[in-house]
Amino acid sequence: MKNLRLLFGLIISLSAFPAAAKEKLTVLTAYPEDVVSRFETVFERAYPDIDLAVLWRMPHDALPYLSQPQQGGVDVYWSASLRNFMVLKNQGTWQKLGISRQGLADHLGALPLADPDGFFCATETAGYGFAVNPAYLQSHGLPMPKTWQDLADARYQGHLALPVPSKVGFAPMMIDSVLQQYGWDQGWAILAGIAANARLVESGATFVTDGIGSGERGIGPAIDFFTASAIANGAPLQFIYPEPAAYSPAHIAITAASRHADAARQFAAFVLSNAGQKLLFHPDIRKLPVRAAVYADKPDGYYNPFAAADLHPVVYDPAHALPRLALNNALFDRLFTDHHPRLQALWQKLRTHEVAGKDERLIKIRQLLTTVPVDAKTAENPTLQQTFIDRTTDAKAEAEARALEQVWRQAIDRRYAEAERLLKQLAP
Amino acid sequence: MMTRSLITWLALSGTMMGVQAAQAASSFEIADTTREAYSRINPEVTRKQRADALHGRSLFRQSWVVPPAQDIEIAGLGPLYNQLSCLSCHPKNGRGQPPENPQQAMRSMLVRLSLPGRDLHGGPLPHPVYGNQLNEQGVPGVSGEGWVRVDYREERVTLPDGETVGLRTPRYQFADLHYGPLGGDVQFSPRVGPPAFGLGLLEAVSDQAILQLAEQGRRQGVNGHPNYVWDAERQRPAIGRFGLKANVATLRQQIAGAFIGDMGITSSLHPKENCTAVQIACKQSPSARQPELTDAQLDAVLGYLRLLQAPARRNADDPMVRQGEQTFIAIGCAACHAPVLTTGEFPDLPALSGQTIRPYTDLLLHDMGDGLADHRPDFQASGREWRTPPLWGIGLVERINEHSYFLHDGRARNLTEAVLWHGGEALPARQHFARLPVGRRQAVIRFLESL
Repeated sequence: MKNLRLLFGLIISLSAFPAAAKEKLTVLTAYPEDVVSRFETVFERAYPDIDLAVLWRMPHDALPYLSQPQQGGVDVYWSASLRNFMVLKNQGTWQKLGISRQGLADHLGALPLADPDGFFCATETAGYGFAVNPAYLQSHGLPMPKTWQDLADARYQGHLALPVPSKVGFAPMMIDSVLQQYGWDQGWAILAGIAANARLVESGATFVTDGIGSGERGIGPAIDFFTASAIANGAPLQFIYPEPAAYSPAHIAITAASRHADAARQFAAFVLSNAGQKLLFHPDIRKLPVRAAVYADKPDGYYNPFAAADLHPVVYDPAHALPRLALNNALFDRLFTDHHPRLQALWQKLRTHEVAGKDERLIKIRQLLTTVPVDAKTAENPTLQQTFIDRTTDAKAEAEARALEQVWRQAIDRRYAEAERLLKQLAP
Repeated sequence: MMTRSLITWLALSGTMMGVQAAQAASSFEIADTTREAYSRINPEVTRKQRADALHGRSLFRQSWVVPPAQDIEIAGLGPLYNQLSCLSCHPKNGRGQPPENPQQAMRSMLVRLSLPGRDLHGGPLPHPVYGNQLNEQGVPGVSGEGWVRVDYREERVTLPDGETVGLRTPRYQFADLHYGPLGGDVQFSPRVGPPAFGLGLLEAVSDQAILQLAEQGRRQGVNGHPNYVWDAERQRPAIGRFGLKANVATLRQQIAGAFIGDMGITSSLHPKENCTAVQIACKQSPSARQPELTDAQLDAVLGYLRLLQAPARRNADDPMVRQGEQTFIAIGCAACHAPVLTTGEFPDLPALSGQTIRPYTDLLLHDMGDGLADHRPDFQASGREWRTPPLWGIGLVERINEHSYFLHDGRARNLTEAVLWHGGEALPARQHFARLPVGRRQAVIRFLESL
């Protein structure tokens, strides 16, 4: 005990000292705390003179916030919402990023990683694919799916969970990636088969870890990082990227109204630096860096989109998808969500007959169940697309959209009724 | 020899038998060593309870939005606040950590404030300008209240066998105080965010059980006592269970208090924004709605936290762990860190009733000596007293939270330092620990790591 010397006493100074004033930098984001806190901590170490204040808003709420005078005091917008970046660019509310792009690719296949005019650039990306519970598949004797088309196969009936794009934030682009990869008509046909195999879910962020992880279903089309993070934290899941994979990038931009542009550039440069990009490897984040060189230090098994793109070039361009996402969502709901039990019953009967033997009426029935009420050319009509974009904020647009949906409903109902009639004819 | 005789006595007296007898697994105990071990919801509940808990989980993880906002359900941050999300201070439902140096902000830590005296119900007297907590952040147009900077003075402690251990003493300085000086008589208490799992089980421990623990403690030479606090919902005094000084009676009040205190989000229990009379811009700042956190949302978060499981012990049969456990009991640690409790009847959520749990706490206040004193009384807790913190899950902190900072202000950088900071009533236990041969000390640490 003689040698035991413990110091007690909390030493406290009550004198408020005039600390060297830090420059306050306000960042608006929709990243969760797990992401934000790690960037805050490491950025603070590198730039102790900058006080990073983070505000949070979902993209639909961020757009009006950034559109107000002085842009709400925000200096940096950092979020996965390409639409917001493009809309605000058209409003002239960004200033040039003005940071070095050395070591940063401008494209990942067809996917642009930087605004050609230099107003914003991608800071990470996330891939679409399939969250899989291997034990579930093994116990049900199911193979691992490799493509979106695989998921439409009859053997996966009852084993999928599919997010509804009008309800789940990441799903609209994921659904559109199927349409871009396979074309409008074949894409919707594949989606019809997948929807027939799936339980439709409206809680995208959690269904992977809760629904697939618990074995409620075996496969869930999803964005990768929820699953990758769950796997890194011990969940017995796998994530499969279809070939080619599609990606949803997040971007960063500096507001035109920023009074801390230099600090904003330091933050943007940090996010894109080796140190910032490697933070994306953290088990609680698991996003895909856009600086290709950092994959040299990736954790074992970490997906490298640049290497994957060498083998299977990326064809998906989210910028092309943006104008038609709202239209897609409406079509998905009218085709599948509104009729889901009926749709599943029809598909089950169709598949039973298809297994039993050939009949020309089966081709007709399949066509009735997979035809989309809007053709590819009409879906590219900017006026139509804008009607569905505006429906949440414009009563006239909403009325027009509803009228169109009513026409679709009738067409879909007629087709499903005809399919039911033909299936009844086939009944033994 | 004394240690061995103590073990024998305790074994015969049934204390250790109690530990052995508690091996029956509770549905609130989860054998999980992953980084999600603090985040598991008890699966043995109804679908509705689970759905409500999942809703609560999303609110607990939510980064809240400055009003006005379209997303009214998640709007209400500020005008003054510390962090955007519950998860900020309870990362992965676990422990926060202190800044490493004066350049770093408190990101999962806060500082409570008060003046000498008591409020109407016997609680701390809020600072007239800064309230009862320093909110470092303000929404756009409202200045944050200021900053607290921390640095540390390192001392080396030499144990009887010659091993040296570094203990760091924190020193706090207030900076950039935007609403004037705090005044020399301010009392303040830095707090790291504590783990958020197992709280429903602690709520379900009966008053009678807590009083019995106090009596048992007295027989073992410690003087723990419950903190009688003001139960704002029932408008009467009650035994406090939550908060680092057991200064809150119910989990619902603890949650509502954190929403208003840490994030500036009003609820039916705290309907007014956290602005003092002199904070004009704060008072003029818009609220999202009244209240910002609805009762349904508050109850969803309550349901989530009540249903979180506690990690089961690991490697309990490892000889070193067993030796450490025996020593932990023998040197007196278990007198306060009570290994086994049984919950009482809990009509609000019957699943919590009658559960045998291993939280390693007696939920009582103990004098921890000058070294850990914050000199800020809170109801019946003196400036030297703290509630015995639960130890369950402590062995997973490093894996889940990626640090090993312990004690109320995170000053201890590992479990050994945490033990050596114990004083007051815990001084004899700490002295026993310090005198142990190094192997026995390591066994105690190994035991703690098994929790």
